[in-house]
Amino acid sequence: MTNAHHPSRRGALQRGLALGAAAAATPWLAMPAAAQADDLGPYRAAKINWRQAEGESISVAVIPAGYFDNLITLAPQFEALTGVKLRFERVPPGQIRQKAMLDLSSKTATFATHAADPMYYPVYTANRWVEPLDRYLNDATLTDAAWFNYNDILKAWRDADSVDGKPYGIPYDGEVTVQVYRKDLYDARGLKPADTLDQLLANAKALTDPANRMFGLALRGFAGAGQNMYVYPSIFRSFGGSWFNGSNLVVNSPQAVAALEWYVNALTQYAPPAVRNWNWPDIADAFSQGTVGCYIDAHSSASVITNPEKSKVLGKIGYARWPKGPNGKRVTSIWNWGFPINAALSEKQKRATWLFISWAASAETQARTSWKFAGPGKRSGLNRSSLWRAPEFAQAMQGAGDNFINAALESLDQDTDVEWRPRMPQWPAVGEAMATSIQAALVGQKKAKEALDEAQARIQQVLKG
Amino acid sequence: MPGPSSSFAQRERRFALALLAPALLLLLLITTAPLVYLLWASVQRLDMSMPWLSGFAGAANYVKMGGDPRFWNSLTLTVIYTGSTVVLQVLVGLALALLVLQIPKGQGLFRIAAILPIVLAPVVVGLFWRTLVLAPDFGLVDLVTRALGLGSHNWLGDPQLALISVIAIHTWQWTPFAFLVLLATLATLPPDVFEAARLDRAGAWQRFRYITLPLIRPAIVMVIILRTMTALSAFAAIFAATGGGPGSSTEILNLYAYRTSFTELNIGYGASLATVLLALTLAVSFFLFKRRRGRE
Repeated sequence: MTNAHHPSRRGALQRGLALGAAAAATPWLAMPAAAQADDLGPYRAAKINWRQAEGESISVAVIPAGYFDNLITLAPQFEALTGVKLRFERVPPGQIRQKAMLDLSSKTATFATHAADPMYYPVYTANRWVEPLDRYLNDATLTDAAWFNYNDILKAWRDADSVDGKPYGIPYDGEVTVQVYRKDLYDARGLKPADTLDQLLANAKALTDPANRMFGLALRGFAGAGQNMYVYPSIFRSFGGSWFNGSNLVVNSPQAVAALEWYVNALTQYAPPAVRNWNWPDIADAFSQGTVGCYIDAHSSASVITNPEKSKVLGKIGYARWPKGPNGKRVTSIWNWGFPINAALSEKQKRATWLFISWAASAETQARTSWKFAGPGKRSGLNRSSLWRAPEFAQAMQGAGDNFINAALESLDQDTDVEWRPRMPQWPAVGEAMATSIQAALVGQKKAKEALDEAQARIQQVLKG
Repeated sequence: MPGPSSSFAQRERRFALALLAPALLLLLLITTAPLVYLLWASVQRLDMSMPWLSGFAGAANYVKMGGDPRFWNSLTLTVIYTGSTVVLQVLVGLALALLVLQIPKGQGLFRIAAILPIVLAPVVVGLFWRTLVLAPDFGLVDLVTRALGLGSHNWLGDPQLALISVIAIHTWQWTPFAFLVLLATLATLPPDVFEAARLDRAGAWQRFRYITLPLIRPAIVMVIILRTMTALSAFAAIFAATGGGPGSSTEILNLYAYRTSFTELNIGYGASLATVLLALTLAVSFFLFKRRRGRE
């Protein structure tokens, strides 16, 4: 239900409509795209036989989001390059995990690959539902290592999509969580973007004025593994918490309690009252309306708050890294959508799927869905370190606001942490139990300690089976 | 000659069976097979997040419920939810029906209006209440409470208010059913009995208590049975409005079974929870049907 993590359907739809309108109204605008579509040279530079799975047809499940829509637009290029037919199915983020799992567990091989939640790789591999990809990366007939340059993909995301050092998914798009703040309000009061969690609260306090519908801070508060359990892990880790004590999952350590108390306190004192029901689109909307002074969420939410049709805060936005916690660490999300290969496919289909994945994750396609993209929605979640540093990318992201690329890139380089959330096959149940307990604390139903003790008991029961 | 004729009858019967077979088979396939699978899964250890533990579990899943606080919580909520929605539906539905019965003209209009919530899909109802009626700040209910000086509330975010809210949603959607059935029954009551009572100087309450109520009792019991069965298996509206939250404060048994199976991936335990819900629904309906027969 609930796990919408990513640009809304509405946003995607708008972008799609805008794109369609632009193409229809100004045919000349679509021409360069068409010309580019024929240019398969950059792909043919790879020393592999792109047509080795010709005639195959594969289905790909993605979520309805601008960054996948851009990829879908380029699908004819892939088909021309490989002779493999692509069929995309858009599944809302709340359902894609279940739909994929249903397909994988029943071995129907409906989806050759799907946009996968990195936290699900442990359960996928425990059931041997997906292929280990080292075999594909090391096979010279399938991958031109120099051309594909797997190590150029951001390390945090590569690690997030690997289990025991083996890659099971290739990241396509991802995000880091950053502070997004109202530069104008901060400047007017002489505030600086927070360097520590304490400063974050001090800033929030200075701005909060409920009588004038102004709130200093907003963080995702809705229950869900992808909502409150997306924000809390960063706080928990920067309070010095670690998920495992030996091989046991411990979620009610003193650091965990302190982190949850901080979270409850921050939202109770400085956030809009409804924030406990909010996911990121609600927060971005409130920020766009000028009622929130600062929020911490995915850098890709910039596309919502800089939408000139909806945003009242254009040109007033600044970005900074996550504040440091008491143990001096900043911890950002390592969220990404990667593509695994369904193990129930035939050998030839697997090869076709790998060709699709390496096409989608290649530097060229990443650029073509971002700054080279003909439509207005340029992707900001590129998977490669070299592309993040490209001047063309900086150019395309100019409108996002102050310090956008810098904040995101420094976070990517320094603040990512594979142990951000507990990676284990039982994550779906663990994430759910944590989300439920965190919410109980956020709405004041239970004290932080009591809520986490309950989560611990629940998790122990789950792990026992 | 009985031989040929009986064999003719036999052939007829066989032919009829052959005609029926495809439909029967299909029915078996889509109703009985999933049920058998559910019962089978409920005695298995089938946890997709721990596939290495899979195997026959016997009654272990059922035994586990005894020590599972979330199960007891969801069972209690199911009882509260079912009890309160059914009582409210019958009371409000009956009151409305009695009221509308007094209106000489335009009853048809009320009937049409009453149909509307019933024909809406529960998911739509849940989302509609969540976004338009109960949302803080701009929801309909919030506008009213603020205008009355009762302040703004986070209707679906507060544990107690959320439970009251989902009960209100279900009652809103299904009261019209009780209303329509009772209105139709009331309209068929013989007027002469009431006239006789009036001549005997029976008061309005006495007429209602000793004449109306006994006469419409079968209809009320029927409404209770049907509504109870729906309330026990309610799912979509709550799922859309709160998802069982906040915390587990609106997590009725059905939602708990769903979350266990499809979010936590413990198919075996989820199946046993669903089986308990099935048994509960059957037992309650059986009991109600029995009472209905017993008194008549």
